[in-house]
Amino acid sequence: MASFTIKKGKDLRFDGTPEPVVQDAPTPEVVSVYPTEYTGIKFRLLVKEGDSVKRGTPLIFNKKNEAFKVVAPAAGTVQAIVYGKRRVLERIEIKSNGSADAETFPSYTADSVCSASRDDLFNLLENTGYSALIKARPFSRPATPDQKPKSIFVNGMNTAPFSPDANVLIQGNETVFQIGLNALARLTEGKVHLCLDGAKSNHAALTGAKNVDVHTFTGPHPSGNTSVHIHHIDPISPNDVVWTAKVADVILIGQLLATGQIPPTRIVLVAGSGQAEGERKYFRIAHGAPLASILRKNPKHEAVRTISGDLLSGPIISETGAIQQLQHAYTLLHEDSTRHFLGWLAPGLNRFSLSRSYLSGWLKQKSIITSGTNQNGELRAMVITGLYDRYMPMNIMTDFLIRAILARDADEMIALGLLETDPEDFALCAFACPSKMDLCGIVRKGLDQIEREGI
Amino acid sequence: MKSLLAALDKQRPQYEPGGKLERLKPLFEAQDTFLFTPAERTHTAPHARDAIDMKRTMITVVVALIPAVLFGIWNAGHQYNTVNQIANTGFLADIIQGTLLVMPIIFVSYLVGGLWEVLFAVVRRHPINEGFLISGLLFPLTLPPTIPLWQVAVGISFGIVIGKEIFGGSGFNVLNPALTARAFLFFAYPVQISGDKVWTAVDSGATTIEGFTGATPLAVAAMVPPGGDVLAALHAADYGEHFTWLRLFIGNIGGSIGETSALACLIGAVILIAAGVGSWRIMLGSVLGLIAATSIMNLLPGESYKGFTQLPFYYHMVIGSFAFGTVFMATDPVSAAASTRGKWIYGFMIGFLAILIRVANPAYPEGMMLAILFMNVMAPLIDHLVVKSHIRNRANYLRKFRHA
Repeated sequence: MASFTIKKGKDLRFDGTPEPVVQDAPTPEVVSVYPTEYTGIKFRLLVKEGDSVKRGTPLIFNKKNEAFKVVAPAAGTVQAIVYGKRRVLERIEIKSNGSADAETFPSYTADSVCSASRDDLFNLLENTGYSALIKARPFSRPATPDQKPKSIFVNGMNTAPFSPDANVLIQGNETVFQIGLNALARLTEGKVHLCLDGAKSNHAALTGAKNVDVHTFTGPHPSGNTSVHIHHIDPISPNDVVWTAKVADVILIGQLLATGQIPPTRIVLVAGSGQAEGERKYFRIAHGAPLASILRKNPKHEAVRTISGDLLSGPIISETGAIQQLQHAYTLLHEDSTRHFLGWLAPGLNRFSLSRSYLSGWLKQKSIITSGTNQNGELRAMVITGLYDRYMPMNIMTDFLIRAILARDADEMIALGLLETDPEDFALCAFACPSKMDLCGIVRKGLDQIEREGI
Repeated sequence: MKSLLAALDKQRPQYEPGGKLERLKPLFEAQDTFLFTPAERTHTAPHARDAIDMKRTMITVVVALIPAVLFGIWNAGHQYNTVNQIANTGFLADIIQGTLLVMPIIFVSYLVGGLWEVLFAVVRRHPINEGFLISGLLFPLTLPPTIPLWQVAVGISFGIVIGKEIFGGSGFNVLNPALTARAFLFFAYPVQISGDKVWTAVDSGATTIEGFTGATPLAVAAMVPPGGDVLAALHAADYGEHFTWLRLFIGNIGGSIGETSALACLIGAVILIAAGVGSWRIMLGSVLGLIAATSIMNLLPGESYKGFTQLPFYYHMVIGSFAFGTVFMATDPVSAAASTRGKWIYGFMIGFLAILIRVANPAYPEGMMLAILFMNVMAPLIDHLVVKSHIRNRANYLRKFRHA
């Protein structure tokens, strides 16, 4: 066990903090599976409209790796198979029959999983699509069986606004969490690292987790980002593979292994200024259930943006979508195109800024951010230097890494540490950027380029 | 407020693609976003953004320049009234006279520079860059108050077009545009920008104050022969008041409009550093470079080298354009080194070279402009070396874990 103190970064306090309360959402009548969630994978169908399925019946498989299947999240009848543009498989709708009929897979106990073979375990995860919950670094793609991860990092922190608190998720899931950890330990020849927030009093099932190395990180966001953990504990050299998962993912994997069935529900977080007050909390809901069933628009705001994941790094999704398999949080942020009169001159006490050129940068660093999606300025060329590094707690020269990516210089990107990062690590830099650059997008492009060209 | 917003929104369609005045969109946008912050929302993550934008950043620099501008206006008028022995003058008369001398220069700089900026924005379809607000003000402050206005126009044109726009506009330039403009004037029309006669306007036919030569402290110090006492020469020079340290610090002497007052520059430095806009590393590096260079010079035997070598560093800091260059020119983030360590090296070398050119080179009276331009060119090299060493350091860090 090791403790790390992170100095660089900043905790941003956005309006819309959730309460640590879990509420049961209504059982959905229709569940939808979106294959597009698994970026880059092309699927073939295993079912047709009208087929009846159980919870856990495979619906589609990966064209390139037939073992990887996505399964039905509830029992019922395939109601519709919907294609999008260019006949891309967009979603599969299942009309739920309300029964608990489920396919059975091998089940394990905390002890028996420790003697299970790696192939059996990974095969089970692949056949249910649960292997996609484990991401492989670099590039953050779903884990594949041919990879030999040198270690696995489990993230139990939530410094990003808003991401689920592991201490809420773990309630009642203590045993399955440990089963999940034991399974991960079978998947690597290296170690499993569980990283927790040193500033919190964590649940005993987290701090006392067995079969793993427990570490604490204390400090402002992005101290809770997996890249930061990896960088300090077991950094990624070119050609290394490291697997990552969140506590929520490990709980799902543990539930699957413990029961031998696809878990009927999961816990997801809904927070942010766009969600009505009192409704910013955790919901127990089925995978594939309509997202709208847990979104409650804040009547104070005219328009609201739905973000899959946290406010700083998640993509925009449609509010008509469904609960995703790979995502455990949804943030609602109100749309904001307020125009401030002579904003370049006004003292700006009521506009949140990390910059000391605003009065709020001096006096209100800890105040709650109430501005919504306003970009607060227009895109400009990179001018200010050295600012990003204040929000990058890794041995990385952010300005030069970004420049190398913009110049499409793959060797330089790798040398400057791109493979150690993920787009989410640059979200705070982008928040503070006066040029309003799309740093996360630039980093994604850099990673895509290296993935395409090979290391 | 609401009616103003409505008026802007009413105009907007004709500047949008397909509108009548589509090509003039950058102009409309500049006016629109000058009045109100833009309504643009984020398109991707992060979905919320800090209130800081490039306009605010650049305006902070303009604010930091205000003390130098105001002092420059007063000082230009004060010097003019004193030297020409104009009767019954006071603070107000100095300000009025100074305004008449300085404002046309600033106005021409903004007007001509602005025309180029707009022309490039319209032709190349990019937004009007706020960086121009700074270049257009920095440049006149580096000029003598007697500069012919056509030279201001030519100079700023060169600075904006050759110094900035041909590289792609703000953020892409190699050299500081304002200094490029000044260097162009310095080499193209040296008569109007150097020597003893240009720093204070002397009316034809007026009888100047007794003892007035117009020589700047730099010129006075450079004239001191080997073995001479440079401090005594400074203290004895000029008319009425002498070049004491305090006077040089406050800056009520003849010189470039905004550069004489180290005090005004110091206030500017405090604003820039407090707002987090100017790099304190570059400023401090430059001061350390100056101290290092002067300390070496001071060690030379005074009898065999010219008296200028013996000038202590705290005098060097308040004469010439050192203070102005360090605070406002060297810290231009686009043309400076971008890495943290690089900023130290870049700043240090500017201070060091400025003194080396100032004292050792007989051809140039002041070294600051050339030192900064030279280091502008060298900045990418410094960064390259810093990044190379960073990459080695990273590789070592990763290797440590591989053997563990």
